[in-house]
Amino acid sequence: MDLNFYAQLLLNGIVIGVIYALIAMGLSLIFGVLEIVNFAHGEFYMLGAMLAYFLTVNAGLGYWPTVLIVVAVAVCVGYVLYEALLASMRGANFERSILLTLGLSMVLQNGAVFLFTTTPKMVASSLSYSNILLGGLRLSLSRLYALGLGLAAFAALYLILYRTRIGKAMRGVAQSRDAALMVGIDPRAVSRLAVAIGIGLSGLAGAALAPVYAVHPLMGFSFVFKAFAIIIIGGLGNVSGAAIAAVVLGILESLIGGFLPLVMVDALVFVSMIAVLLLRPQGLFGRGVRV
Amino acid sequence: MLKMRPAFVAAAFAVMASIGLVQAQTGPIIIGASTPLTGGVAHFGQHARWGAELAIAEANAKGGALGRKIEIEFQDNRCNPAEAVKSVSQMLAEKKYVAIFDGLCSSAALAIMPLVERAGVPFIVANASATSIAEKSGVGGNKWTFKVNPTDASMLDALSGWLDKEGKAANIAFLGEDTDFGRAGSSGLEAALKKRNKKLVMVDFFQKGTADFTPVLTKIKARKPALLALYAIDADFQNVIRQWHSLGGGVPLTGRVLVDQVPKEIMASGFMDGTTSVQPYDPSVDTPANKAFVEAFTKKYNLPPMLISFESYETINILIDAIRRSGNAGPAAIRDALAATKYQSILGTTLEFDANNLIHNNAIIFRIQGGKVVIVGMSKT
Repeated sequence: MDLNFYAQLLLNGIVIGVIYALIAMGLSLIFGVLEIVNFAHGEFYMLGAMLAYFLTVNAGLGYWPTVLIVVAVAVCVGYVLYEALLASMRGANFERSILLTLGLSMVLQNGAVFLFTTTPKMVASSLSYSNILLGGLRLSLSRLYALGLGLAAFAALYLILYRTRIGKAMRGVAQSRDAALMVGIDPRAVSRLAVAIGIGLSGLAGAALAPVYAVHPLMGFSFVFKAFAIIIIGGLGNVSGAAIAAVVLGILESLIGGFLPLVMVDALVFVSMIAVLLLRPQGLFGRGVRV
Repeated sequence: MLKMRPAFVAAAFAVMASIGLVQAQTGPIIIGASTPLTGGVAHFGQHARWGAELAIAEANAKGGALGRKIEIEFQDNRCNPAEAVKSVSQMLAEKKYVAIFDGLCSSAALAIMPLVERAGVPFIVANASATSIAEKSGVGGNKWTFKVNPTDASMLDALSGWLDKEGKAANIAFLGEDTDFGRAGSSGLEAALKKRNKKLVMVDFFQKGTADFTPVLTKIKARKPALLALYAIDADFQNVIRQWHSLGGGVPLTGRVLVDQVPKEIMASGFMDGTTSVQPYDPSVDTPANKAFVEAFTKKYNLPPMLISFESYETINILIDAIRRSGNAGPAAIRDALAATKYQSILGTTLEFDANNLIHNNAIIFRIQGGKVVIVGMSKT
C-alpha cells in the first residue's frame, strides 16, 4: 500500500462526507427551526435527482441550468409543503409530525415507483464519464462538482444563518418561538423559509448527485438514515455540527472501508451515534442551542 | 313443508357443490407468483412478470391447457424472505393455485420451499440461483421444488474451467451483495477454483442499496488482482461500474457481470475490455425460437428481453407443458409431470430435471472485446 492509496481513500472520504453534509444540513435546519424530524427528506433528494435526470436526458439541459431549475423547484415545493402540511406542526406535535412525514415518504416513494418504475436511470452527460487526474489520484468530474456545490451550499447557509437578519430570526425562532414572536419576528414566515431552504438543499443534493449515482425511487433510503445519525452526532438542530460530523464520518468510512470488510463500514455510523448518545447526549457540537 | 326443509337444504348443497366442482374443472387454471414488484430489485421483478405473462398469453392463444384458460396472479415479496413467506402463505391458504412460481431472489425462494412442501403444491424456480435450492430439492428432500435456471455453482464451474483454460483463474478478487445470491456466488467460485488448485485472493460483500463503493473499489485496485468477480445487480451494479470507471479500473471483471447493462459510453470506451462473464442467456443467441421470443417480447413491451425475462418465459412454458401432461391440473399430477419433463429450450437444448429437480441448460460465456460483447462459447452446467 503506497501513499497514493491513503490519499485516494482520504479524497474519496472528503467527497462522501460533503455529499452526506449536503443532505444532512437541510434535515438539521428543518429540525432546528421546527422541531420536526423530516422522514421524507430522502424522498425530496430522490425527486431532485429524478427531475435532474429528466431535465438532462429528456430536455437536453446542461448541468448548471439543471441544478438551478431543480433547486428553484425544490424551494417552491418546500414552501408548499410547509403551508399545506407542516404549518400546524410544532414541537408539541412531535409524534404527529413523525407519522405525517413518514406517510409522506411512503406516498412519494411509491408514487415515484408508479410513475417512473424502479429501473435505475443513469444521467449520461459528458460530465458523468469525465475523470480528472491529480497526480496519482483520480476523481470524476461529477464528484468534483458535487464537492464544490456542497462546500458552496455550506458557506451560503452559514452566511445566511450568521450574517443576515433572516438568519438571526431563524436562530431566534429555533431558541424560543414565543420570545421571537414578542420581539416582532413572524415564526410562520421564518419556519416557511427554513423548510424551503431545507428542501432546496435536498433538491440541490439530488441534482448534484444525479450524475454520480444511479437514479431510482429508493435512492433516498440509503442516505437519509445516515443523515439522521449524522445530525444526532453533530447535535440535533446544529447545522454546522451536522456538516462537520458528516465530513468526519465520510473520511472515517472511507479509511475503514479501505482496510476492513465493507459491511462493517455501515455499522460505523450507527456505532458512532450510539457512542455519542451515551457519552454526550446533546451531540458533539450541541450547546443546547439549535441552528 | 317443514319436514321437507332438511332434504331441500341437502339438495341445494349438493347442487352448489357440483357447480363448484364443475367451475373448478372448467374455470381458469391459476398459477400463483411471488416476486419483487417494489423494492430494490423491482426492475427485475417487472421483467419476470413480463416474461411469464408473455408465455401465458402465447399458451392461451393456442387454447390454454386441458381446454382451460391459464392465468397467473402476482404478489409482491420485495425480495424479502419474510414478505415471500407472507405472500405465499396467503396464496396457499386460498387453495386455488395449481403451482407457485419463482420468488426471484434466492433468499425468498429458500424461504418459500418449506411452505410448498407442507402444502403439497409444486414450486418452480426461474431466477433464484443459490446452489442450496437444488441441494435441498428432489433427492435432497423437498419433492415439490423444481429449479429451471442453473445454479451459481454450476455456472461458476463452467466459467472457472474457461478461465483456467486461458490461464486466468489465478489471483481473482470477489465483490458481491450480502445476500444468498452474493454468498452463493462467493462459495461457488471458491469451490470451482479449489477444484483447479486456485483460490480467491480477496472477498468482500456490500449491503444491497449501497450507493458509494469508492472505499472498497480503491482497496481492490490497490491489491492488483488479475480479475474482479462481481455479483451485483440493478442499481448496485450501475453504481459499481460507474465508480470503477471513475477510479480507472485497470482490472477486468468476471463472474455474473450483466454485460447488457453496462452504460454504452463505458462499454464503447473499451474500459471493460477483457471482461469475461457467464450467464444463462443472451438475446443474441442465434436460434429461431429465441429470435421469435425476442421479437414477441420487444413488440409487446417496447424493450428487449433480459436474462430474467427469458428465465421466466422458459420456466412458465415448462410449467404449462407439465400442466398439459398432468391430465387434471392437480398439484400432485403437475409435480409428477414436471419430474418427467423433456422440454425443447428456445436455446436449442432438450431440458430434463435431474435427481435434485434441477435442469442443466447451457451457460453462455461472454467476453467484452473492442467495446463489444461477444459470445465466446457455451458450456454445459
